[in-house]
Amino acid sequence: MLEILVLLFGLSLLFASVTNMLSSLIRILMAQGLILFAITLLKTTQLNWFSFSFIALETLIFKAIIIPWFISDTIRKNQTHREVEASVSNFFSLAIMSFIFVFSFALAVYSQTRSTKLFPLEFGIAFATILKGIFIIIANKKLITHLVGYLILENGVFLLSLSAGSHLPYIVNLGVSMDIMISIMIAVLFINRIKSTFDDADSPTTLKE
Amino acid sequence: MPWLLFVYPFLAAIVVLTIKQQKNLDKLIIVHAVLQLGVGIAGYLNRSYLAHMDNLGLLVFLITSTLYLAVALYRFGTEPNAPIKNYRIHTICLMFFVAAMDGACLAQDLGLIWIFVEATTLASAMLISFEHYKSSLEAAWKYLFICSVGIALAFVGILLLVIAQPEYASLNVDNMVAGVKHISPFWLKMAFVFIMVGFGTKIGLAPLHFWLPDAHSEAPAPISALLSGALLNTALIPVLRINKLMQAAGLGALAQQVYLFMGFLSIFIAAVFILKSQNYKRVLAYSSIENMGIIMLAFGAGGTAIYAGHLHILGHSLIKAAFFLTAGNIVSIYHDKQWRNVSGLLENNKPSGWLWLIAFAFIIGMPPSPLFYSEFKIATALIQNGHYFGFTAFMILLAIIAWAIGRVSLQITMGTGTQATRLKKGMIIAPAMLLVLAAIIGVWLPVLNLP
Repeated sequence: MLEILVLLFGLSLLFASVTNMLSSLIRILMAQGLILFAITLLKTTQLNWFSFSFIALETLIFKAIIIPWFISDTIRKNQTHREVEASVSNFFSLAIMSFIFVFSFALAVYSQTRSTKLFPLEFGIAFATILKGIFIIIANKKLITHLVGYLILENGVFLLSLSAGSHLPYIVNLGVSMDIMISIMIAVLFINRIKSTFDDADSPTTLKE
Repeated sequence: MPWLLFVYPFLAAIVVLTIKQQKNLDKLIIVHAVLQLGVGIAGYLNRSYLAHMDNLGLLVFLITSTLYLAVALYRFGTEPNAPIKNYRIHTICLMFFVAAMDGACLAQDLGLIWIFVEATTLASAMLISFEHYKSSLEAAWKYLFICSVGIALAFVGILLLVIAQPEYASLNVDNMVAGVKHISPFWLKMAFVFIMVGFGTKIGLAPLHFWLPDAHSEAPAPISALLSGALLNTALIPVLRINKLMQAAGLGALAQQVYLFMGFLSIFIAAVFILKSQNYKRVLAYSSIENMGIIMLAFGAGGTAIYAGHLHILGHSLIKAAFFLTAGNIVSIYHDKQWRNVSGLLENNKPSGWLWLIAFAFIIGMPPSPLFYSEFKIATALIQNGHYFGFTAFMILLAIIAWAIGRVSLQITMGTGTQATRLKKGMIIAPAMLLVLAAIIGVWLPVLNLP
């Protein structure tokens, strides 16, 4: 079951490389949030009320509902053009994604011999997700797409923290969720303000030197 | 006593909401700064007051406190250029920004440091965009975004550190050093690379420095001074702490090579871009990148240069903050940030002109600047370790940067002035105080006998 979910997560990355519409990128974010919620539920052995509500708040409410809604709302309000407008072709980004997968799995298989507490499949996919997030940020010009790339990167970090096992200090977990919440709030605030200051929220360009 | 540093901003934030005059808001900041410096001095005299902070943390803490006091004096009673509502938010963000930096100095746990460094990003992004110009808004966005990505990568590094430890995972550097035998070198190396790239973004090391010139040049002058003089040091703390672990694990040579590489790359990038800059605050920002590069070189060279590295952190912070504050004076006299449009500062406002010239002499390492001694030591260490090529490149790049800053400084200060302008006393005293302090330290080195 766990393997299937993780594979689905990896599949969503491939889908993100071929899509041209902003709305489908947002749907991918929602799907990833749901998958992360399911994975966390499977992994938590003893579930008390507090940890359940914490996990649900972070993955289900924030990652799968509020943030995608925020972004699509921002797109609608700012009347952003609905296509992704990547600076590379779909084929190229799919090829890059395949390379990322090959690299991440090679690393995961290699690393399996070095550490006993690691799940190679999860580690590989998590690493690929982080690299994919960076690639989306590099290969796109729009602010909104940058934000989506950052969120995918954060999802990767979350998956990595799950694959690192249960030894994680609690405060670190708290930090991650704080980070995500606040940065999204500010990002949305900023995009709205950029919109009202610049006529075009797509790509502000006054600082060039 | 450390709790005072965190309780005060929260209490003051509640008080701020009831205050209607800008002057009273400024007074709250001054009280915070005095409190901060007081705690810092008490901690210097007796370490138990500051939760047994280590030397590096104490050094950064004292620098932050000094700069904060100077900045508080500088901005006291400046003309309000924003509605009081915005000014209140600005005051609250400033206090939380400083409190987050204190937290990063106090924390020994890498995870906790990470959270505080993240908090500084959030607070300071609001500070940068305070003036609501198009360019400052864009700079703040760039800063927030690039640093968030960087800090996420640093978190990956911290997770890899957890993976590197077999059973019981701790993120406290001292505990990790004690249990270094059990740490897997492969994962430690991976973690080191991610932590370097992640926190390196925040330090402004090339190749992830893009946000720094924009953020430092578009922020209001007092904020630029704090960003450059205090925040960059705060981001240095985790990078230098992990060095201790790398040395203990027998991977010190690798860490030093990475430091040397990133240091040289940063100085090179700074030297290339500083020649193209039209904006004098950007020139200062590139100089910050250069100095961070020099500090990385010091820790890369190792040995006696490590002392020089700590001295360079101190000297650069004091001088660069004074420089940025003086740049704020120029902006308020000329309302122009292009250096070719500005001339005759010595005739328009003599004290600012002299401050600018002295800060210029100090930043390029003329005695009695502390940077003279530290750069001399670093150059010596490079030769002793056989980095002859590195030494030559270091000298040439420093000369290029000195020429570029000199060109800008002479253009700004010399020439005929248009009209004499008077500035508030605080705007002169604050940078002067920092420069005098730097000169005293430069002459009286033994005071700093920190390891």
